[in-house]
Amino acid sequence: MALRTELPAGLSVFVVEDEALVALNLEDILIELGCNVVGPAMRIDRAEGMFDEALAADVAILDVNVAGTMIFPFARKLAERGMPLVFATGYGRAGLPEDFSARPILQKPYTTQDVRAGLAQAIEAEGSATA
Amino acid sequence: MHRIDFRSLFETLPSPHMVLDRDLRFVGVNSAYEKAVLRGRDELVGKGLFDLFPNDGESGQRLRNSLLHVFETGESETLAYIPYDIPIPGDPDGAFEQRFWTAVHVPLRAADGHVQFVLQNTVDVTEFVKLRQAASLPLFRARPAELQLLERAREAEDANRQLIAESSQFRRLFQQAPGFFAVTFGPTHVFTFVNDAYLRLIGGRRVVGRTVAEALPEVSGQGFIELLDGVYRTGKGHLAEGARVVLDQPDVGGVREFFLDFSYQAIRDGEDRVIGVFVQGMDRTEAVRTLRRQRLLLDELNHRVKNTLATVLSIASQTLRSARDLPSAKADFESRIIALSKAHNLLSERQWASTDLHSLLLQEVSAYGSERVIANGPHVLLNPKAAIAFALILHELTTNAAKYGALSVDGGKVLVDWSALEDRLVFEWKEEGGPVVAKPERTGFGTLMIERVASGELTGTIAADYAPEGFNCRVAVPTRVYREAGDGAAN
Repeated sequence: MALRTELPAGLSVFVVEDEALVALNLEDILIELGCNVVGPAMRIDRAEGMFDEALAADVAILDVNVAGTMIFPFARKLAERGMPLVFATGYGRAGLPEDFSARPILQKPYTTQDVRAGLAQAIEAEGSATA
Repeated sequence: MHRIDFRSLFETLPSPHMVLDRDLRFVGVNSAYEKAVLRGRDELVGKGLFDLFPNDGESGQRLRNSLLHVFETGESETLAYIPYDIPIPGDPDGAFEQRFWTAVHVPLRAADGHVQFVLQNTVDVTEFVKLRQAASLPLFRARPAELQLLERAREAEDANRQLIAESSQFRRLFQQAPGFFAVTFGPTHVFTFVNDAYLRLIGGRRVVGRTVAEALPEVSGQGFIELLDGVYRTGKGHLAEGARVVLDQPDVGGVREFFLDFSYQAIRDGEDRVIGVFVQGMDRTEAVRTLRRQRLLLDELNHRVKNTLATVLSIASQTLRSARDLPSAKADFESRIIALSKAHNLLSERQWASTDLHSLLLQEVSAYGSERVIANGPHVLLNPKAAIAFALILHELTTNAAKYGALSVDGGKVLVDWSALEDRLVFEWKEEGGPVVAKPERTGFGTLMIERVASGELTGTIAADYAPEGFNCRVAVPTRVYREAGDGAAN
């Protein structure tokens, strides 16, 4: 894919991921990409709490199933705010509901390049949607 | 405009006609019939056909069967040739007169469509038969045309009876076949036959004589009637596999979903015109459900594999990132993967349900024996997610103790205590008799991971103390988090 994968410097990325090891790895990847990590929130209630306390992030990477709870209701709240979203999932695109089916996904397991491409795609899509 | 008086038309028809009700009693006769059977209408109407014209032989049976069949199926029937003797009126000995007949039975329907009466048109062919008998005498070579006609009728009737015998056998086979069968007639698809399997499928509803739309109202809107229309119109059959249909089963309490393999085939008459549709098929509901379950299981398996690979990838990159050198990175990576693998073993032994904390601990520390690792705590079951998390924590604690702590020297001990309080599980790891401890200068992956797992993933707390006499740490996990059902491995 010939996606432009240059990310803005100092991008703030909100991470929701319930598995500590996977979250740790994602944090390392994001730091490597020059991003600031917001979170990670490892439970939905924690993520909701951060949202209510004026969450400040440019983009979110959301695990689809957070300790048995689907992320989508929460994801809709973020989407309503115009936040670009990337879904991380082991289910593939078929696991996304219709309203999110065009959003970028990170198919687990993912690499640094996958994360970079996913973030770039999300930002670009949201930019063109609001432009 | 003149109106026809149908009553007088019936009365004056030159051929004998009579009408029977469902109890096979005379409802009406015309005068030709009166003459044919030597009885007046006053003697006939209201009386049973077989009371007035008893016949215990084969002919009586055939006549009765034919009439009942017309009532049952609503289809006309012809008896081309039937010997049937009738009593001679007023004969003191109750003698019978030998007669031969042809008879046509036609259903008469009430407004609601059910067969209320049967009309019989009968012709006395006794004279023809006598001619034929005469013709069989050696001197009669010539055969009148009427006689030939009669013979053909008789042959046709014989062939027909044989067919009926065969077809009733077929009917039984169809009736009891495991697949479902139904026959519909006409452009509105009136059921004329359904077998037992079909009847089970539609919940035992009585459908014969009714259109598909009337008999199975829930089918409207599901596309099947349109398919039948198409087959009837074009004569081209239709095949379907695993087609979903919602059917009402009033006998077992309501609407259910089915998956059917079925075919519709046009039934044609002698002139190749479509007159009905033959429906046959199999109920594949169970097989389709099983396939779906398998599909779900496969999806879930795939998803779990992907998640596990994500974890492994993370362990690999974290281990490489924090390793002093490649050989130690290899050793650390291997031991972490093995710890994860053992936890999976325990979980799969328990059908991925839950695992007790003590087993997880034993698996990790068994190499050191119960004198060096002294475990003390109640039976606590962890859900799969908490089990994997604890397995990783226990692994890092044990590895640390073996490298730098109490398990790195002879005589060192670890006291492991846990207790299940009402709202949380408290787990304590206390090392004794090891080298003098100093807080490490930088936080290694192991420590970081324990913190993240305990506080983030398990939403608990962790307090680590690098006391000079021995490292100790205390992990507390909310009860709802380690107990709650739900798929711990899903992501």
